[in-house]
Amino acid sequence: MIKSESSKFGKPLYILYPGDYFASKDDCIIGTITGTCIVICLYDPQRGIGGMGHFIVPGSIGTSGIISDEIASSGVTSIEYLLGEIVKLGGDRRFLRAKVFGAGYLNSGKAEEIKLSDSNIRFINEYFLIENISVERSDLGGDFRRRIYFSVKDGVIYRQILQNNEESSEFIKLEQEYVDIQFRNKKKSGRIILFE
Amino acid sequence: MGKYIMIIDDSPTIRISVEFAIKNMGYDIQQAENGVDALEKIKTIISKGNEISLCISDINMPQMDGITFIKEFRKTDKFTPVIILTTESEDNKINQGKEAGASGWIIKPFQPAELVNVVKKFLK
Repeated sequence: MIKSESSKFGKPLYILYPGDYFASKDDCIIGTITGTCIVICLYDPQRGIGGMGHFIVPGSIGTSGIISDEIASSGVTSIEYLLGEIVKLGGDRRFLRAKVFGAGYLNSGKAEEIKLSDSNIRFINEYFLIENISVERSDLGGDFRRRIYFSVKDGVIYRQILQNNEESSEFIKLEQEYVDIQFRNKKKSGRIILFE
Repeated sequence: MGKYIMIIDDSPTIRISVEFAIKNMGYDIQQAENGVDALEKIKTIISKGNEISLCISDINMPQMDGITFIKEFRKTDKFTPVIILTTESEDNKINQGKEAGASGWIIKPFQPAELVNVVKKFLK
């Protein structure tokens, strides 16, 4: 993530790279570009706290749904990192609202890419249904990239469809590297420490 | 007398996932949304003559976080195992949990079989 104090918005701007997450209670903008990944924007309008997460669920989710699926567990954890930061700032997930973007398929609509896109869309829909978090805007799928800016204080989104890959060439490379790493580690679990 | 495992997390997805993983271990399961909710439910369970065998708790929760929950729980129960299940991985936080009286610390994501193994170790 990089921070720019002098953005065109007249507020601090935080740019997230693929796999990043960030939350704040300050009047700022969080931005990113996404192709195949999902970008979620969560905000608590009562407290003016919000955040953005950029991640992918690396593979197809089984028919049993996200609760018992090892691959979905990686996506749940990605959102948990963002939610943890929001809670630490004083936010409460019972009052959160969500806006979701991305999960595009970009290489001429190859079958496996469309399957991955569908799986990520299914994941995000199931997740917010179980969490009972209202999804105010859902802009998912499609064969294009998106540039997203999110205003933390009021939840306003500025979204741009990117047809020209040159504009986002750095992000394309970074997103591919991130996706490759997530696929390699898709069944990885966290450290276990026993105190006694 | 019933033997209960408490699952304490503000995420319904995590609570349901954990319950799904441990549901066949022969214990009654009670879910709670945060530390305050958990302490109230534990009090009710014990007042009915039942027993808390183990707690699995998140750290970052509204109203009462996991570290505060353990400190409150340990005022009346020094021995029941409390396993922390969290995204927090910093040594400083882990030490806070240990000092508060946690028995173990699992960093998400977790695999169900690994969670079951840890729970079994503490329920021996």
